[in-house]
Amino acid sequence: MSAMALRSVNLPGVGTKYEVETDKGDTIAVFFTKTGSIQMYTLQKGCQTPSAAEMSPVEARRLGNILTGAIIEADQESVEIAFSALADLRITIHTFFIPRSVIGKTIENLQVRAKTGATIIAVCRHDKNIINPPPSFAFEEGDAALVIGESDQIKKFEREILVE
Amino acid sequence: MEGFIIALFVCLILALISKYLSIPAIPFYIIAGVILGKTGLGIVHADEISRFFSDMGLLFLLFFMGLELKLDRIIANPQRVLTGGLIGLSVDMGIGFTAAYLLGFTLMESFIVGAAFYITSTAIIITSLIENRKLMSREAETIIWVTVFEDIVLIFILAVLSASDQNLLLFFVKIALALVFMYAVSFYGKEFLVSILERDDEIPILFTFAAVLTTAAFAIFFGIPQTLMVIALGAAFATTDPDAFEQHARPFRDVFMVMFFVFFGVTIDFTSGVDWFIIAVICTLAVVSKLISGMIIGVVIHGSTLSGLEIWANMISRGEFSIALAVLYGSPVIATTIAAMVIFTSIVGAFTAKYSTWMRKCIISHSRRKALMYHPHNGR
Repeated sequence: MSAMALRSVNLPGVGTKYEVETDKGDTIAVFFTKTGSIQMYTLQKGCQTPSAAEMSPVEARRLGNILTGAIIEADQESVEIAFSALADLRITIHTFFIPRSVIGKTIENLQVRAKTGATIIAVCRHDKNIINPPPSFAFEEGDAALVIGESDQIKKFEREILVE
Repeated sequence: MEGFIIALFVCLILALISKYLSIPAIPFYIIAGVILGKTGLGIVHADEISRFFSDMGLLFLLFFMGLELKLDRIIANPQRVLTGGLIGLSVDMGIGFTAAYLLGFTLMESFIVGAAFYITSTAIIITSLIENRKLMSREAETIIWVTVFEDIVLIFILAVLSASDQNLLLFFVKIALALVFMYAVSFYGKEFLVSILERDDEIPILFTFAAVLTTAAFAIFFGIPQTLMVIALGAAFATTDPDAFEQHARPFRDVFMVMFFVFFGVTIDFTSGVDWFIIAVICTLAVVSKLISGMIIGVVIHGSTLSGLEIWANMISRGEFSIALAVLYGSPVIATTIAAMVIFTSIVGAFTAKYSTWMRKCIISHSRRKALMYHPHNGR
């Protein structure tokens, strides 16, 4: 990671300000205001007036996901987290809708870990979340699985488990 | 009681309108009070109930100010706070005090008018910086620190005004003891306080309300100003979990503050004994003086008169603190003058804050054109 200048200030009455100056000299400032909204300003190098966008927390998180390089499709989305302190460890979390071929099978049957290396850490069923499903967990129609792993493992999961 | 409810509904509608137009609501509440009260229709009268709600409004306003008052941050950043703050204090307080004295107020009255004239509305300024999306500008940070400085000055002003008729030594000993007690409670009882605030039933909000009221009651009992004590309570609690306290105190502040503004307007009498000349002078100077102090701050801190203009445009509005001074220490004449000044400056301030970018552009293009006219070869 390059040494970009990140500055954070707590402004009394306003909230927290984060300011990043990019290598090319542009400035980006993000304010988490006490009203709950998030404002992002971008100032091009050499310009006087910044342009601003106001976001709700949900919108801000989506934007954050895009900026981390995640693929956002219509319904399925993924987040990649990079831990720069741990030799640039990159972990991807991806949501998948369970296809017909997998319905009725358990995680053990599918041999998810052995075949792909990825792990199913949560399943969303009828708007309820099942965290850390056991190996005996069997999929039903309409389930969505949250899979965690390196991006290669995620791709393998998509190729080998979901399409059979 | 009926009047009270009418006032409440008028305020609700005004709040909706002001949010829709994204302009500050404070002047509207005062105008609503003026129209409904003594000066206008005479439907709403101040009574025991309204006085209670107004008092609550003031207490929660000051408690909130205390919560925001993080002294460690000011100590960590003294230069910025002090430079801008001291310029504003000397210029605005100086002009306000001198003008009031020359207009025939007594020394004490001039001090109150000068203080109300000096102190800007943190609520209006911060909201308009957010609404007008100006947080990133370098002036915004300066403006925010200047308002923090003003809050500290307000504490001193309140102390001076309430100390004037007491045995000074006893007064300060009592205040010091109260401060020590509150900080000790926050320091040694921190875990207990945090555990109360983390509950998700009605206890945190009940606790916050009770803490503010109990402090005020004890202050009256011991003969020390409740205004100072609730600020101190806020500052002491800010060392535990200020965000939680803000969250629980906000509903009280928001509702009671509206009542505070409306009933301030209700008690104002513009019909008799009002010197419109004084009001006109004070209102005009209130805008001009901020232009002078803004320009000096802009040049000293940012080295630019355009920055000064931006600071001025955002710092014209007077509001809650000026009214608090009028309510606490002002005679009817002072209250009327301050009411008019708050209404005038907050409306003018709303427009200047909204169109300051546009003003800046006009000035820049105008000076460019001028430069091109006189030095056509240097331009661009």
